[in-house]
Amino acid sequence: MSVLIEQLTRRQLLWHGDSQQLAYQAVASGYPELDQQLAGGLPATGLIDIQTDAGIGELRLLLPYLQQQQQHSQRLLVFIAPPAELSADMLAGAGLDLSQLLIITPTKQPAAAPKNNQKQNNQQQEALWAAEQCLQSGCCASVLLWPAAMSLAQARRLQLAAEQGAASMVLFRRPCQSLSLPVNLSFSLQPDQQGLQLTVLKRKGSWPAAPFLVDMQRRWPALCLTDPSGEPMRRAG
Amino acid sequence: MALFLYLHFPALQLDHLQQSAENSQHLAIALVDQQHQLLQLNNAALTAGLKLQMGLASAAALCPELQLLPYQPEQQAKVLKSVAQQLYQLSGDIALDPPSGLILRLDGMLRLYDGLQSYWQLLSKQLNALAYRYQFSCGATPYAAKCLAYQQANLITAENASLLAALHASPLEATELTEPLQQQMARLGIHTLGQLLALPPSELARRFDSQLLSYLGRLRGDYYHALEYLQPEPGFSRYLELLYDISDSTVLAKPLAKLLQQLEQQLSRANCQCFQLLLTLFFRDNPQLQLSIGSAQGEYKAATWLQLCQLQLQNLPLPEPVYGLQLDVNHFAGQQRPTEALFEQQHARMSALQLLSLLQARLGRSAVSGLALQNQHLPEQASQRSLPLTKGYVEKGLAGSSALALRPAFLLPQPQPLTEPVTINQGPERLCPDSWQLNGQRDYYIGRNQQGQWLWLFRNARQQWFVHGWFS
Repeated sequence: MSVLIEQLTRRQLLWHGDSQQLAYQAVASGYPELDQQLAGGLPATGLIDIQTDAGIGELRLLLPYLQQQQQHSQRLLVFIAPPAELSADMLAGAGLDLSQLLIITPTKQPAAAPKNNQKQNNQQQEALWAAEQCLQSGCCASVLLWPAAMSLAQARRLQLAAEQGAASMVLFRRPCQSLSLPVNLSFSLQPDQQGLQLTVLKRKGSWPAAPFLVDMQRRWPALCLTDPSGEPMRRAG
Repeated sequence: MALFLYLHFPALQLDHLQQSAENSQHLAIALVDQQHQLLQLNNAALTAGLKLQMGLASAAALCPELQLLPYQPEQQAKVLKSVAQQLYQLSGDIALDPPSGLILRLDGMLRLYDGLQSYWQLLSKQLNALAYRYQFSCGATPYAAKCLAYQQANLITAENASLLAALHASPLEATELTEPLQQQMARLGIHTLGQLLALPPSELARRFDSQLLSYLGRLRGDYYHALEYLQPEPGFSRYLELLYDISDSTVLAKPLAKLLQQLEQQLSRANCQCFQLLLTLFFRDNPQLQLSIGSAQGEYKAATWLQLCQLQLQNLPLPEPVYGLQLDVNHFAGQQRPTEALFEQQHARMSALQLLSLLQARLGRSAVSGLALQNQHLPEQASQRSLPLTKGYVEKGLAGSSALALRPAFLLPQPQPLTEPVTINQGPERLCPDSWQLNGQRDYYIGRNQQGQWLWLFRNARQQWFVHGWFS
């Protein structure tokens, strides 16, 4: 009997319910509760899809992870099409090496002035092209992209490129009800007074867990509400 | 005894043109000068019975489908120079003899190559690879070699006697003497160079001008013949005339690859690489267009350069068809290969600098930048876009510490007026512009709006509220 089982396991026809092997190598995220829930942390390679509003702490959540990614392999960190000017204080304060950081803002237009819609489309194309090149090159640790939209085929392509170059890619998207993309990890973020409410939507090789709170009070005390009720509300004149 | 080799290229410009067009062999092509005389003929034209110096009327009668192109002396000079550059790898002393000749001094080279035969074997191999028609001969002096090469003597020997015999038998048409002078000699019954050389110089001096004497002196080797030997140029500059106009920038890649291949040859021979190419596109009506294509790491491989050029050409709308390409490289640099770790798990496909040049080629130089921290207290000046992959101002031990003030990840280029209710969490932090004008002061607060977004707000001296960034 045991011989038979052994043979079947060797041919990968048996699946053990207790041995949940991680589909990717995990890197500690710097937040203990997140590491615990995600069985080790965020994936070191492949796509990470984050559905979030801007400005609620989505980048702060990733800063320790990005710092580790950059430091571990001495490779580049690439920001593609960020929504506004990045501030060096914040990134340097988080321990990122600014000399190993690239910002790509595809703005160049061909001279034959295209229509507005086309222009945006073109910009989007350039951003995706740049992302693919960076991922494939093997000299980038992580690529962060703020895409307007992303199709299934594009995500698959980027995932392949990321595997080829052993890089990770973070997509910051607006919360949307679209089909899930072929990514290693996908979660959505909601603001919370102590940090962020995180809902895992998809994780390669496991089941999604219940939403949980990522506590940011230790790392970012100034950006958490300590007393939820007693704060004065001010209005802009 | 000095020994010279003269190489005469009878149809340099035409051969160069034909080289770039593979399917033009069966076409009879001729180059004509301003006086409408045929100067250079290709093989098809020669088999049709055309001869050099023929007038256009008789040429057209012999061969009605003859294609005519203008003879361009400056074009020919460029080709001659490039031939000399390529032969320079084999032979040290090369002097140009425009419009169509090269003088090679051999006596130094013979010791290196251990004899004339092995030297000629290598040189002729290189010449055949260039695929220009050529005539050659050795000679004791440059003029003697030239005279023999014009008759297609094709002598490769260091024997003085046979060279001298061939020289004495050569007709005056092969010499440098002017047409009237040759006629004058013919009337005197002097037809060969031997007859002329037999006359005593003092007699000749009385009847002819000094030009003849100085020519004969140099021919014989009595007078010193100063030659300006070629110095290898530090850069690379080639022009390629396209046989038909190209209006599609992707089609341009093919002729461009040819130029880049030549560049790679030159670079790899010198064990060099280059950082920047200047590609000039020539149009018939519009002014020429110059592109600069850079590689941050430095490259010599044609394939890599072609990829970078293609990326830049893709986005380039051509105003009209291109008829010529020129590739210039002004500066060569020594080759440096980065050392790679032996036990590294994954091998990077390219280096960071290569990636940078790739991105810059397609997106433009301004689209790719780095970020640098400046020693400034105003937030809009504290972080600045810098040249990519350069170190900015970061004090040792400052990075990662909490010494840096808490700043938002994203700054708006222009502060926006605050339009929604916010909860103030921290502040104020007063920042003043450089001159400490009190009316320019800004009191910064950290606030949270009802969607849970963390905003960086300021209130100016007139009590107006603005959003300056957000803490992502």
